[in-house]
Amino acid sequence: MTARILVVDDDAAIAEMIGIVLKGEGFEPHISYDGAAALEAFDTVKPDLILLDLMLPGIDGIAVCARIRETSGTPIIMLTAKGDSTDVVRGLESGADDYVVKPFNPKELVARIRTRLRPATPSSSERLTIGDLVIDVTGHEVTRGDTSISLTPLEFDLLLALAEKPSQVFTREMLLETVWGYQYKADTRLVNVHVQRLRAKVELDAETPCIVMTVRGVGYRAGAAR
Amino acid sequence: MNPYAWRTLLQRTRHLWRSSLQLRTVAITVFFSTIAVTIISGYMSISIATNLYEARKAQAIAEARQATSSAQELFDSSVATNGTIDVEAVSQTARTTIRSVASSPGETQFAILRTPGQSTAVVMTQSSTAGIDESVISSALREQVAEDDGRLYSQAISLQNGAGIDPGLVVGGVFEVPTAGQYELYLIYNVRDVQQTLDFVQQTLLIGSLLLVGTIGLVTFLVTRLAIGPVRVAAETAEKLAAGELDRRIPEKGEDVIATLARSFNRMADSMQRQITQLAALSRVQQRFVSDVSHELRTPLTTIRLAGDVLYEQRDQFSPIAARTTELLHTQVDRFEVMLADLLEMSRYDAGAVELDTEPTNLVRLIEQSIEAIEPLAEQRGCELRLVAPGGHFEADVEARRIRRIVQNLLGNAVDHSEGLPVVVYVDSDSDAVAIAVRDYGVGMDAAQLERVFDRFWRADPSRQRSTGGTGLGLAIATEDAQLHGGLIDVWSAPGEGSCFRVTLPRRRGSSVAHSPIDLPPIDAQPIDLLPIDRVAGERDA
Repeated sequence: MTARILVVDDDAAIAEMIGIVLKGEGFEPHISYDGAAALEAFDTVKPDLILLDLMLPGIDGIAVCARIRETSGTPIIMLTAKGDSTDVVRGLESGADDYVVKPFNPKELVARIRTRLRPATPSSSERLTIGDLVIDVTGHEVTRGDTSISLTPLEFDLLLALAEKPSQVFTREMLLETVWGYQYKADTRLVNVHVQRLRAKVELDAETPCIVMTVRGVGYRAGAAR
Repeated sequence: MNPYAWRTLLQRTRHLWRSSLQLRTVAITVFFSTIAVTIISGYMSISIATNLYEARKAQAIAEARQATSSAQELFDSSVATNGTIDVEAVSQTARTTIRSVASSPGETQFAILRTPGQSTAVVMTQSSTAGIDESVISSALREQVAEDDGRLYSQAISLQNGAGIDPGLVVGGVFEVPTAGQYELYLIYNVRDVQQTLDFVQQTLLIGSLLLVGTIGLVTFLVTRLAIGPVRVAAETAEKLAAGELDRRIPEKGEDVIATLARSFNRMADSMQRQITQLAALSRVQQRFVSDVSHELRTPLTTIRLAGDVLYEQRDQFSPIAARTTELLHTQVDRFEVMLADLLEMSRYDAGAVELDTEPTNLVRLIEQSIEAIEPLAEQRGCELRLVAPGGHFEADVEARRIRRIVQNLLGNAVDHSEGLPVVVYVDSDSDAVAIAVRDYGVGMDAAQLERVFDRFWRADPSRQRSTGGTGLGLAIATEDAQLHGGLIDVWSAPGEGSCFRVTLPRRRGSSVAHSPIDLPPIDAQPIDLLPIDRVAGERDA
């Protein structure tokens, strides 16, 4: 099955060029030039992944990102012209899974897309527990008691990575490699922001996390199963 | 008070002394005027005392002379025609006469004593006023008086007066009693009144002096306040101006020299403010421009980049000319991109729009990764990379991205200029700071080159073939990165001996570095072969 990718960028040339690159790699690109069109295309095309420019006329990328996240966990990769910390963090906080900074090269872009599209790593077990949560690995579902908790695929991967090795302390770099597929050290803010987002969904009290525990100076580990 | 409190007090006083010009002026003035007033009033007091005493003495001597001569006359005239005299009866009369003569203020007492060592037919009884203590008449005085050289002798004495002692004066003279020989008349004066007058004068002088010194101190205080006040205001204003409060001015009052100072100071501040505002505006415009241009260039550059890469992937299918063209396009777009990234980073620093985002980072591990990353290039250059890390094995609070950028830049430069000789990276730390030094043994730089090495767009040798695609901004950005951490980069280099770039960072965020754990110039006058090959585990980082 060909993966459908929604490319959102107000610059026609770059949007078309990205389309050419994606087609060359065997994807099926759909292009939108502004935020409103992107939201519309999201409903009609039902893309498997969204490439989203942050600077858009009308509804900006951050807003589009937040809107999509309200209903869907579809992977979103931001395209940002600014390497500025604040923009990247705002994008990640509004729900983007990853980002690439313009100018990027096609290999880098394709690698990021493939990581986000790959099927979840085959797990040894079907059911895992982390804290008071139960992870149904095959069914891609997380439950606390009888309540199901809705996570984006990325958040699910992050939780799964921690739950699979409960005795292991993960550094941010290790998580970047396991979950984001970065071979070398990238931006550890990706981990920080997504751990925050994950905690907001799974922790009962975000002030005293007991599912995703912080190991000061090192990284994170899974909370003890209960 | 314990010694510590004393020391604190002493230190505080010393600080106050050094810091307050007014206090110093007042203190010095009071000190010297006290000396002057003490000398003057001391002189006055002494001369008044002398005068008073001399006058009293003169009066006493005059009285004594009269008393002596009256007594002599009385005795002389009392000699009967037969040459006899009733000395006791005359003596009685003489005492009355003497008492009436010696009528100066205060209690005057007298004693008539027979000069010892005489043998005469008749002896007159010695007599004196009641309650007199004859011991106050010293034997020295008596000897002097007994000589009878026609003069009167006086001596200052102390008189017992109840519990206290009064100053006194004894004056002695002689007279001849017919048939009974030589007798001495001593008049004893109590000069307490003189002493009292003197005490009063001295007291007045003391009070007057104290008031005078106090007045001088107060006047000095007021005058200096008047004069120093505006200077202090000027100093405070200048301080605030220096601190960036460009709107500060000195109030201009009157026509005097202070007002002139204020006016010219304010004029200077005005022109400074104008210049600074102008420069700031210019610099903002320029930074804004650079930042905008960089941003605007990014989107088309990305398109070009993507297009170039797509073409580059297919270059095998092109004609040789088109293939080479594609290759050139590809490499130059890469270079352009690096330049743009550096330019953008620099403009961010210029605009002050950079924030430090620290996380605990193991510097040794970070450097190991950086060395790994540059290894392929180093191999290509036939240059060996070594790490010597006696310290730095701890989690430093730094922004890893920026430190990695610094290290990679320094490593790239070192490999580029290594001439195939080893490049050694040192990491060491102490309680306050951690340092990274990158040492190469290549061409090195001379003094003129060293001076410019951190300048933007400056290259040691423009014709040199570079592999790291340097933009000439690398060291400038590295310097900014280090400064953002509160650290610094410095360099040692000598032509033909290579260079050593040292980065020193404070261990704790927010502090600054006063010294570096690694010495510069590096400690290798020794040959390269003797350097430790592998890293030495650090005991210094507990």
